[in-house]
Amino acid sequence: MSRLFANGLLKLRRRDFLKAATIATAAMGLPVTMVDKVTAALESPKRPPVIWLHFMECTGCTESLLRTSHPDVATLILDLVSLEYHETLMAAAGHQAEENLKRAIEKYRGEFICVVEGGISTKDGGIYCKIGGRTALEILQHVGSEASSIIAIGTCAAFGGVQAAAPNPTGAVGVRDIIKDKPIINVPGCPPNGYNILATIVYILTFKRPPDVDALGRPKFAYGRRIHDHCERRAHFDEGRFVEQFGDEGHKKGYCLYKVGCKGPVTYANCPTQRFCDAGVWPVAAGHGCIGCTEPNFWDQMIPFYEHVPGVEVPSGQGIVGKAERIGKFAIGAAAAGIAIHAAAGAIKKATTKEKEE
Amino acid sequence: MVLYRRVKIWSVLLRIFHWTFALSILVLFVTGYYIHNPFALGPWEGSPTNFLMAKVRYVHFLAGYFFIAALLLRFYLLIFGNRYERFTDFIFLRPRNIPRLFHTIKAYLYLGKHESYGGHNPLAGTIYLLVLLMSVAMALSGLYMLYPEGGLWASAGFSIFKTQQMARLFHYFLFWIYLVFVMFHLYLVVWNDIFGDEGLISGIFSGRKFLPAKKG
Ligand code: SF4
Ligand code: SF4
Repeated sequence: MSRLFANGLLKLRRRDFLKAATIATAAMGLPVTMVDKVTAALESPKRPPVIWLHFMECTGCTESLLRTSHPDVATLILDLVSLEYHETLMAAAGHQAEENLKRAIEKYRGEFICVVEGGISTKDGGIYCKIGGRTALEILQHVGSEASSIIAIGTCAAFGGVQAAAPNPTGAVGVRDIIKDKPIINVPGCPPNGYNILATIVYILTFKRPPDVDALGRPKFAYGRRIHDHCERRAHFDEGRFVEQFGDEGHKKGYCLYKVGCKGPVTYANCPTQRFCDAGVWPVAAGHGCIGCTEPNFWDQMIPFYEHVPGVEVPSGQGIVGKAERIGKFAIGAAAAGIAIHAAAGAIKKATTKEKEE
Repeated sequence: MVLYRRVKIWSVLLRIFHWTFALSILVLFVTGYYIHNPFALGPWEGSPTNFLMAKVRYVHFLAGYFFIAALLLRFYLLIFGNRYERFTDFIFLRPRNIPRLFHTIKAYLYLGKHESYGGHNPLAGTIYLLVLLMSVAMALSGLYMLYPEGGLWASAGFSIFKTQQMARLFHYFLFWIYLVFVMFHLYLVVWNDIFGDEGLISGIFSGRKFLPAKKG
């Protein structure tokens, strides 16, 4: 794949390379003394073969990765690995592409890293996503079984993503629901931060083993803490200074976005420290709450995006979705009415029966 | 003429449990609702800081620990308490309690006479057991949100709630169920005090109830 970049236009300058290596080292939570080791690993001529699969998704993960600028994370990643198959980037198409995939699997059986982007349809035999006549399910089972490990990039590959949102018409799931016997590293996000993808690959190259992961398979160095616990607006939260409405005085002053639905308190990710777009920005810094994109089922659980508790489906009702608050208040009202009727009945009874002296 | 005996029902420990539980719940209600929906704005920039949210959260956590301590105490008493405090006394599955359960329901519907059983009637006892179980869920979801980064509570919380958001939703939803419970509880306690002869309200202060002399 680096042949694509051999024209030199996209080649990294040494300075940018070191910068990126340092950022990746920091993202992994390693001390600065480790930069040399990381750099050495990155410079090793032995590049691991990677097969990059696309399933049900918007390709936003790849796009956002390619649209970073300096230092160019995408170039670095693509230079680190020997990319054998990537539908968005490769020149081949049609039968030639299929041929490439087959050859790559044969050549690097058991050695290559499989990167998956996108959810996998499972309903009706997975017919809702087909590439070259094979379902995504078949492709993943086939390629995944030959891989050494799997990196699921983005919330779709990790947890099913938007296609898995209720009512999930295609039965979309994440990689971990299909492949059970391979190490799977989830790098969720919509899209995930390019540096977290880079750091995950660099970690594997440097230490020759996958990073420590949490219960959902997410690298702890990136997903070990909640957004809220290292957010720059946290001081305003603790002070009790909140944005009441977008555009109000508090919003202009940069107060905490809790009351307009920020999901930072329930979302594990390193966005406040790692940030995006090389400009050191992230949603909360730009004045919008976190929507919890790194969490499983976030399309179902994190909505409404501008309120901080989700609607609750009344189980027996026909799809009545109410705010927990409204249901709670209704229950309180009903209880109060019940008590009032009961008390009235009691009062009538007391009044109509003569009490004997005891 | 009915004669009454004053019988000791609730041990000191049970009364400590009851009042710690009740007061902690009161504090948790108020602080919890503030955390859910911070109604009063803290100081605007420039005015002296008071860290309102941080303080309210601190009080909430403190009250939460009292709540958990009370809960543990009640679980101890469910097994090792006196005969009125043990769960075996009031679970409705016990053959003795099935007629009592119907009797209690009839009494509440004004269709029968109020009867005293010493400890909890089986209806109340069942509800209390459910509340205790609900309290465990409340405590676990709270601890999961308080200790999100690994360790016992994070893994226990994860295995039950999966995401922090679900823990938060449970925590919030149970808040409303508690409110309904507290309303019914207070009402029925007063009702029992009026329609029954036990002296139920003073009982939770003194530990003693009035039971008909022929019984017990
Ligand atoms: S903006 Fe969001 S993440 Fe930041 S302190 Fe407020 S609630 Fe927490
Ligand atoms: S701030 Fe929240 S919504 Fe935005 S990328 Fe990070 S985890 Fe996702």
